[in-house]
Amino acid sequence: MGVVVKKVELSWLDRTYVWPVMKGMGITFQHFLKQLFTPTAKRFTIQYPDMKKEMPEGYRGLHELKRFEDGAIKCVACFMCQEACPARCISIEAEEFSDLNITQGFEEKRPAKFSIDMLRCIYCGMCEEACPKDAIWLRKDYEVAAYDRLSMQFGKWDLMNTYSEPDGKERISEDPTPSVPRRTIAL
Amino acid sequence: MDKLASLLHTSPATAWMVAKLVIVFAGVFSLAALWTWVERRGSAMIQDRIGPNRAALFGKIKILGLVQPLADGIKFFFKEDLVPHDANKALFWLAPFLALVPALMGFAVIPFGRSFTSGGQEYHLALLDPGNGMGLLYPLAIGGMAVYGVLVAAWSSNNKWSILGGMRASAAMVSYEIGMSLAVVTIFMTTGGYDPSEVISAQGHLPWAWNIVRQPLGFIVFFTCMFAETNRLPFDFAEGESEIVAGFNTEYGSMKFSLLALSEYCHLMTASALMATLYFGGWQVPFVKDPSVMLSVLSFLVKMLFFAWVFVWIRWTLPRFRYDQLMRLGWKAMLPMSMVNLIFHAWRMSQGH
Repeated sequence: MGVVVKKVELSWLDRTYVWPVMKGMGITFQHFLKQLFTPTAKRFTIQYPDMKKEMPEGYRGLHELKRFEDGAIKCVACFMCQEACPARCISIEAEEFSDLNITQGFEEKRPAKFSIDMLRCIYCGMCEEACPKDAIWLRKDYEVAAYDRLSMQFGKWDLMNTYSEPDGKERISEDPTPSVPRRTIAL
Repeated sequence: MDKLASLLHTSPATAWMVAKLVIVFAGVFSLAALWTWVERRGSAMIQDRIGPNRAALFGKIKILGLVQPLADGIKFFFKEDLVPHDANKALFWLAPFLALVPALMGFAVIPFGRSFTSGGQEYHLALLDPGNGMGLLYPLAIGGMAVYGVLVAAWSSNNKWSILGGMRASAAMVSYEIGMSLAVVTIFMTTGGYDPSEVISAQGHLPWAWNIVRQPLGFIVFFTCMFAETNRLPFDFAEGESEIVAGFNTEYGSMKFSLLALSEYCHLMTASALMATLYFGGWQVPFVKDPSVMLSVLSFLVKMLFFAWVFVWIRWTLPRFRYDQLMRLGWKAMLPMSMVNLIFHAWRMSQGH
């Protein structure tokens, strides 16, 4: 047995076609007026370069390497993020340094180079989860684009200065403490 | 006017004619260009979008994107002008002009303001003075020629989609012309003449004496047929973007396409001017017996632009008709309706109204 299709009985007014057309025109004109008198900020369209979309909480955008108040990097070059990264886009080179203010002469570890290949990165946030020092995290910035491949290789200073301007922090390009010449350990 | 004429070594009549020509054609042309913007912004607003608002003069003055037509024009001029290999080259070049010229010429007979006397000479605000013997038969005849633009464009470009679009469009235009003509004939009958100035003066300045109140059925028929004549949605059979690529202008690019598109908007302007003249009292101002010249021109412009906006409005409200639905509406609804309208008014006149 087939499906019985109920036919809608149109009233004579609807069958004239003129009245339904006028109803439809009323609807479109309502939309027209509503859109006309809506301020630009409240319209559905976000006019991109002038207005930017507010990303939801937990959005994973561009990475930032955090720093202490004095500008020293929080990262201790433990390589956890490099290990955790499923896309293998993080590469770290460690170095030793001595920070007399904080470590009282002890030698500490920090990345000499910390680079993320943004072309490879899948913005999964595993590095953020793996980090024991909360030194790396992904923020809401989504404008990651460049004209060539080389400028998508983000180095240590790029990652540290990513948000310095919107956060009102100073741009830094040098560690506050010098590194210690590497001692070779004779095995 | 006399001074200007003597300065240009012409007679005042010629100078006035040239001035009218410039005013009318520049006016219709710029309104058509403006209406491309109105169409885009209006459709955007109807669909809760924003539309083109970024085009700016010198990169700074935006004025709601009003310079978008200018930018479009510049872009069209610098586009490569392609002619398909197997196209009929002469006709392919001729078609945009065949489409544009009738669309512009139809406006010539329509009075866009009241006549006035200055310095013992009477000036008429219409390209063709009243009493030229053609009257409103002229725009109807010229409107019939608009078919050639579409058909020649379609046929010469040697493309299946184009031919399909052109054939359907010409069939639609021809079949709707009958209903439209009968509706207009009724007006000629009740007016007792077919000169536009007679039609306007017969309607008077009171809105309830206008033809829209006297002949609402005729207005509906004429209005519907105007959509078919101008080839706009819901009777968009010449283009039909969703089914036959772009119809008759598939192969057209650069300024030739621009001319075809402009001709559509010029046609729209002429059609709305016709509607204002025939059914809404032309330049008559409601409740004002003897309006000044400027006021009458303003009144005409308001009416005309309102109908031009209704064209845009309807386009973004109604879905497209199917071809058989269009034909059924044309022959089985529009034609009988206009005939009933004609016979009813003939009967009323015979009863001495």
